[in-house]
Amino acid sequence: MSTARLAELSDTLVWLAVLSYVTAALLLGFELAYRVRWTGRAGVAVAVAGLAANAGAALTRGLAAGRVPWGNMYEYSVMIAAVTVTGWLVWVARRREVRPLGTFVLLPAVLAIAAAALILRVPAGPLVPALNSGWIKVHVVAAIIGSGTLCLASMFSALYLVAERAERRAAARRPPLVAGGARTADRVEVSEAIANYEAEEPAAAERPASAPGPGGRVLGLLPAADKLDELAFKTTAFGFPIWTFAIMAGGIWAQSAWGRYWGWDPKETWSFIIWVVYAAYLHARATAGWRGRAAAWVSLVGLAAFVINFYVVNTWVVGLHSYAK
Amino acid sequence: MAVEAPPTTRPEPEPGPQAPPLGELLRQAWREFRSMRTALVLLFTIAAASIFGSLFPQRPISPQRVQQYLLDHPAAGPLLDRLGMFDVFGSAWYSAIYVALLGALVACLLPRTRALVRMLRARPPRATARFERYHNHATVTAAVPPEQAAETASKVLAGRRFRLADHPGGEVAGEKGYLREVGSLLFHVSFLLLLVGLAYGKGYGYRGQMSLVEGEEAANARVNYDAFTPGRFFSTERLPRFTLRLDDFSNSFYPDGTPSQYTASLVASDPAGRQLERQQVRVNRPMTVDGVRVFQSDYGYAPVVRVTVKGSGGKRLTPQDGPLLTLRDPATEVSNGAVKLPMLDPQVGLDVTMFTGLVTGDGADGRPTLANDPRLVNPVLVVFPWRGDLGADRAQSVFTLDRSKLQPLADRPLVIPLGGKGELPGGLGTVAFTGVKQYSVLTLARDPGVPLVATAAGLILLGLLPSLYVTRRRVWLRAVPTPGGSRVELAGLALQGKPAFAQEFRRLVAEVERALGRSRPGPGGATLAPAAAASPSREAGPGGSATRSRPGGD
Repeated sequence: MSTARLAELSDTLVWLAVLSYVTAALLLGFELAYRVRWTGRAGVAVAVAGLAANAGAALTRGLAAGRVPWGNMYEYSVMIAAVTVTGWLVWVARRREVRPLGTFVLLPAVLAIAAAALILRVPAGPLVPALNSGWIKVHVVAAIIGSGTLCLASMFSALYLVAERAERRAAARRPPLVAGGARTADRVEVSEAIANYEAEEPAAAERPASAPGPGGRVLGLLPAADKLDELAFKTTAFGFPIWTFAIMAGGIWAQSAWGRYWGWDPKETWSFIIWVVYAAYLHARATAGWRGRAAAWVSLVGLAAFVINFYVVNTWVVGLHSYAK
Repeated sequence: MAVEAPPTTRPEPEPGPQAPPLGELLRQAWREFRSMRTALVLLFTIAAASIFGSLFPQRPISPQRVQQYLLDHPAAGPLLDRLGMFDVFGSAWYSAIYVALLGALVACLLPRTRALVRMLRARPPRATARFERYHNHATVTAAVPPEQAAETASKVLAGRRFRLADHPGGEVAGEKGYLREVGSLLFHVSFLLLLVGLAYGKGYGYRGQMSLVEGEEAANARVNYDAFTPGRFFSTERLPRFTLRLDDFSNSFYPDGTPSQYTASLVASDPAGRQLERQQVRVNRPMTVDGVRVFQSDYGYAPVVRVTVKGSGGKRLTPQDGPLLTLRDPATEVSNGAVKLPMLDPQVGLDVTMFTGLVTGDGADGRPTLANDPRLVNPVLVVFPWRGDLGADRAQSVFTLDRSKLQPLADRPLVIPLGGKGELPGGLGTVAFTGVKQYSVLTLARDPGVPLVATAAGLILLGLLPSLYVTRRRVWLRAVPTPGGSRVELAGLALQGKPAFAQEFRRLVAEVERALGRSRPGPGGATLAPAAAASPSREAGPGGSATRSRPGGD
């Protein structure tokens, strides 16, 4: 197939992916709102088809350009959508309860691809010399996976905030719990040993009966707030070292391309800001008075920093990474 | 700034009536300083402060853009400059933030290291309550006497790399996952190392830019650099002595006109003329000479131009004869330069524009259009002569004319193809375009801190992984006699990662069950009296010693 045909095919596949993701998001949203299980299953199937189209779009794009398909913002967006949806599907395969969260994963993915296809699209072309290095595989792949998972983690934190609020309101409507019902050995042990370690699993007696949905229909299918918090933490713990590595790999590449491993280029500055914010999230989660809601908000600040780094720094701020347009 | 820290707000000591208020205040301030809250606030501050570094142009990156910003914002510019907004990362207030952050880091690391050493020296502690009060607890029955059952179960724990300790009452405590805190400390300490490497490289290294025209050579001396940024402790006498020669420069393009590669054929020689290095230096492929790395950063065109004019008294002068450095516009590959003739009266300046491949066509409205092919296919020189005051006493760019006091000398420019010659108006003289050379802009840099920084980065990653993934957990076991043999009670507690530990505990119990199922009663073991089994001492038990701790965790 000629490169022009491949590039054309890639464009078609991108729109197929967008269509599938929107459909899947609607089906999953239907499950979330009306607890219709079959729409959830159908949503996952359609999302898998969308992912296939998404991956195909990236592959054909790479073949058309004769290089890795992550040389500019458009291609980066397509890749990051694929990574995020893959991450969510892996979770669904392992833990069914995250399935209804698909709406909140697929819609941002759709937004990312659609914005890329409408605003950032550039014809498939070769790379500028600075990008012509083996490190594009290491640095950019790590950046895509790291940012994809960290954004996903922030989505979970946002959902945690929603669920936590609903649970708090539901708990306020219930009569107060019997005092002193929670003095288990774990609790004594932890307060005696290391109070600052991770949040203690609440004892059965004090845990609000959150499973059967205290906060109305939509929240009924959302996992309990502490589950979402755990999910957000685990996803961050997965993405954070990868993001760290992406920054380091970028440093190695910069050392060979520009002669310095770090130069406070706007893109470098913002990846550092993002790193610091997610580091603060990890610290906040281990700090009394910060874990829970405050930590979740820190994670959302991280998400905002990602959005700024990608859309604002890439397009408005002049820097060495400006070829990403 | 720790992923986890020991309790930072310890129970306050009862304020004694004679407590010195100042000392107590200082202690409190110190506790607050090394608290996680302070670390969090400082982390947010440094993140927010960094934003400014991307909002405003930065002097170390692009002094020209700072200059332009100051011209565009005459009111706000100087104020922002005083606030250090054009060198955020070198400003006093930014340094203050990261010094405070490092101070808090050290203040928090010292007690944590002490606590870790204490923890590693201490034996895993006893259970603090009855086993059945833990979320994770189980009972396994065995057909063997309690000592043997406890021994077997302990072996299972030891096999899973739990560090074990015997406690009175036949209780065995096991603990593992110390690598979490070790990794966390390594992660944080490595930042200090990173900063040392950064400061060392910055202080004792240097960075500069040098332009070399094809066929020319230049010594690695301060005078030959267009830009030079030495470290605070770097003196120019320490520049390694070598000479660089640019044999050839070539740039290639993809069919769509975007650049594909720049290659500089460089030769480095020592002062005696012996060749040290020879390499095709490309983007991403630097050359190293004597600890100095030479990078291909930019390039430009140097048209070979010969300008002949009639000076005062009719004397023929050739003020320009050779490659003329021009500034290339990366978007169009059109280059601009200037020839200044201050010896003439009135002074004359030539605006020189070089096209690499001039393409003329007819526009839609019938007027001719100009386009440039980025490849060097049809080099054409376009020369605009000006007359008046060049303003040579003012600082100005060598690539442009200051036209404020100049009038055009002609209404049409001279268009000179390669090998051609143009007549300046009024019999002033001639301009000949005899050849095209390219020049390479090389970045030369020495950073002795790189090995240290690379090591620190590796250690950061090495420490980060266990600090996030290893969890500390404890398991206790105790065997009590029953009529048919014994019953092994187990309890477990995870300080982190509780859901995963619940599974691990179940697997552990299953393993203990299997191990006990294989055990057969030893000689005389089945007849042990209940009182003997409850004996607090296990010293006499098979293989049992008072200190059975395994070194380390996992």
